[in-house]
Amino acid sequence: MAAPSLDHARCSGCSLCRLVCPMWRQHRDPRFSPEGLAKARQCGATAAELTAPLEACSLCGACDPVCPEGIDLSAMVMELRQHLSPALPYRQALDALQAKFALAAAAAEAPAAGALFLPGPALRAHPVLLARVRALLGYACATDDGADIALALETGGEIAPARRRRFLDRLDGRTLAVGDGLLLRQLRHWLPGARLQSLGAALASLMPIRRRIASTDFYVIEPRAYHADYERLVAYYDRLQAETGCALNLDLQRIALPALTPALPRITGPLADADVAQARWMLQGRTPHRIVVESLADRAPFERVCDIPVLHLAELAQD
Amino acid sequence: MKILPVEPGTVGPCPVAPDALQGIKRQQTNPARWNGAGWQAFVADLGAAGVELAEGRAACGVYATDAGGTAYGQPHGVVVARNAGEVAALLKAAQAHRVPVTVRGGGLTTEGESVAYGGVLLDMTGMSRVLAIDAPALTVRVEAGIYWHSLAEELRRENLDYLSAPLNLTSSVGGTLGVGGIDVNSARLGCSADQAVSLQVVTPTGEIVECSDSEHAELFQRVILGYGQFGVITEATLRVRPYTPLSMHYYYYSSLSTAIEDLQMLDRNDASDYSGILTIMDCAVNLLVAFDSDEREAAFRANWEARLRGHGEFGFALCMLGHYALRPWKAGEALYLLRRKQAVFPEFRRPEYMREGKMHDRTVVFSRAVWKHWGSRNMVIPDLATPADKFIEAVERGNAVCRKFFPHYTLYCVGIKLRPEHRPHYEMSCVPPGAEDWAYGCEFEPMIEGEVYSRDHFQAFKNAIYDIGVDLGASYYRFGGMMKGYIRRIFGDALVDKHLAMKRRADPAMILNRDVIF
Repeated sequence: MAAPSLDHARCSGCSLCRLVCPMWRQHRDPRFSPEGLAKARQCGATAAELTAPLEACSLCGACDPVCPEGIDLSAMVMELRQHLSPALPYRQALDALQAKFALAAAAAEAPAAGALFLPGPALRAHPVLLARVRALLGYACATDDGADIALALETGGEIAPARRRRFLDRLDGRTLAVGDGLLLRQLRHWLPGARLQSLGAALASLMPIRRRIASTDFYVIEPRAYHADYERLVAYYDRLQAETGCALNLDLQRIALPALTPALPRITGPLADADVAQARWMLQGRTPHRIVVESLADRAPFERVCDIPVLHLAELAQD
Repeated sequence: MKILPVEPGTVGPCPVAPDALQGIKRQQTNPARWNGAGWQAFVADLGAAGVELAEGRAACGVYATDAGGTAYGQPHGVVVARNAGEVAALLKAAQAHRVPVTVRGGGLTTEGESVAYGGVLLDMTGMSRVLAIDAPALTVRVEAGIYWHSLAEELRRENLDYLSAPLNLTSSVGGTLGVGGIDVNSARLGCSADQAVSLQVVTPTGEIVECSDSEHAELFQRVILGYGQFGVITEATLRVRPYTPLSMHYYYYSSLSTAIEDLQMLDRNDASDYSGILTIMDCAVNLLVAFDSDEREAAFRANWEARLRGHGEFGFALCMLGHYALRPWKAGEALYLLRRKQAVFPEFRRPEYMREGKMHDRTVVFSRAVWKHWGSRNMVIPDLATPADKFIEAVERGNAVCRKFFPHYTLYCVGIKLRPEHRPHYEMSCVPPGAEDWAYGCEFEPMIEGEVYSRDHFQAFKNAIYDIGVDLGASYYRFGGMMKGYIRRIFGDALVDKHLAMKRRADPAMILNRDVIF
């Protein structure tokens, strides 16, 4: 386990990260914000003392593009999570889930040459939609999509070097569409030679889908992928909005509001009150006819709080 | 020890000598930490009243300094405000145990006003919700710890906007109402504090009072622009307006005084909806003019634009080219201007904030640019607020001080429309006593640019700027905290003693924001 980086030392306390932080919005307590974590670290607080906010962070990445000091705040949280106590009550269940994903990955065959699509567990659980996405993209679907690695990144779990090497060796130099925003974020660092895109942006670029996005739609961008490639994607989605007239889940800073705010102990659990409140806030003052989500996981909170159709982006294309 | 005489506004040969900071006593720049007497009994009382108090470095670390980054202190404990009742319970217990309470909103002070030197830090951002929007009446009721930006987010869903607020996303409503708040539309709409219709205030002795110009008016007058001395604002009703994007125009000047004359001409004639001056250098001065509607913009173009003596961007670039071609020894200055232009200008034209030539969400655009290109871990922003007729002299003298202390700096100048009926609010505030109709404010912000300056250098710089204010009979936006040594010099003993007596009546144990003013 590496020692935590010293990036937090550069935090000047401007609080800009608080404004976009769903964790802060939920708790209204500066301890529950990237700034709170960085400032506490500057005063010598350990990961154990910061357990509550480290568990509460959903790693949506909204804080990263707004930090004027350029601190990688998501990386700070991910690193500190590695130092949380292994005795936390849910740790064993997360380790077991990671091991299950790793076992499936070990059995995966090497993918054929060419562009690849890494769906992630949520989409893989819906074979019909998965097949539709694959057909629309025209990419092969990777049987090893790094689900165990994505989970480890999120939860502070360990990633064996050999496992990481095997995963990356199969992907390097390819065109990749990645369903998991957190994994995509990390692949940008690990695979500088790969042509990476989020699943949402890849699908929204396809004309059969793009031309069916309506001005009465509320289009929900997957926040992790968006914030990880903010400077490019803010322009991309600005064009999408200008072309289609749809409303986006962007705040006034053009930061994506996440529909889900999963805290560490309930990553694999059911919807929480916080998710429902977040979805309600996203829809406040809006009257869309339809909600279009990039991430399948974002469907549930909207289906809970409204009775208009909630579609995955791939479902927009006609059969 | 022999103290050598030093020129006012400069640092003496011994920077830690008692008299090194001319015009301000050493103990006033660095308040003593409260000794903690009776803390445990106070904590027990708070617990019994159901008020959650957090202690330890994870809780207190975030409050170690303010936006200025030159004043450091930590509270004994933190209370994140949840409702007025809790705030009242806290203040009652604090009075009983004589525990200091420092109130903090966005923490954007620069003189340590929101830094706690022991005692309790009351963080108002825990009370940061919009309570009710009354669109027909164009008012909004908010909890006072809300950031102006969060308020803008909610108002926008109703196609509304606040009237005027600091060009900084993380200013809180309560903090702003307590000190003033200026925007580039303040020359037309007044300062942010003038937008308050009514307030819910918790007095220093723990009473919860609703006040306005017609109800508990004296409390309202003291709390507005009162630097947190007479109560904690817990809720506010503010005026709002329909949201509009802006048509922006920029004019460039090589002379500060000419730019200010044109700014004041526009303000006097109500020729624009927004106006302000932002400099890159004192020979590269930008006059910003903007409009809420096409009609107002057309009237400006027809009647006033030709009277401005500034240039467009291309014309000014040609002027500068000629200027520096004749002065090759100033090539470094020219390169700085060019670098700065290339870095900053695109920030104000980001395509995602522009639609059909109009700027949306001006506060986001300005605030992000400010933090990115002006922000740093240390920020000192001394300012001068004067009547209109003294403003050019104040800015030119302040500019000369800036030149002496820092290689690069920015000046930000705006007018503030005064409301005659609010004159009682303005007493002992940033509004200068002699101002009629408009006051003008200038912030002098050095560019730190990765350099390391001592606190004494910063303090000497601020003192030199504030000495100008004393000389001109001006006022300041930031006269609290480390600059409170100027309060008696600028306002005079009679007025300060009057307010001190009111403070003692309102806050018998003198516990509320005690290191800020008195």
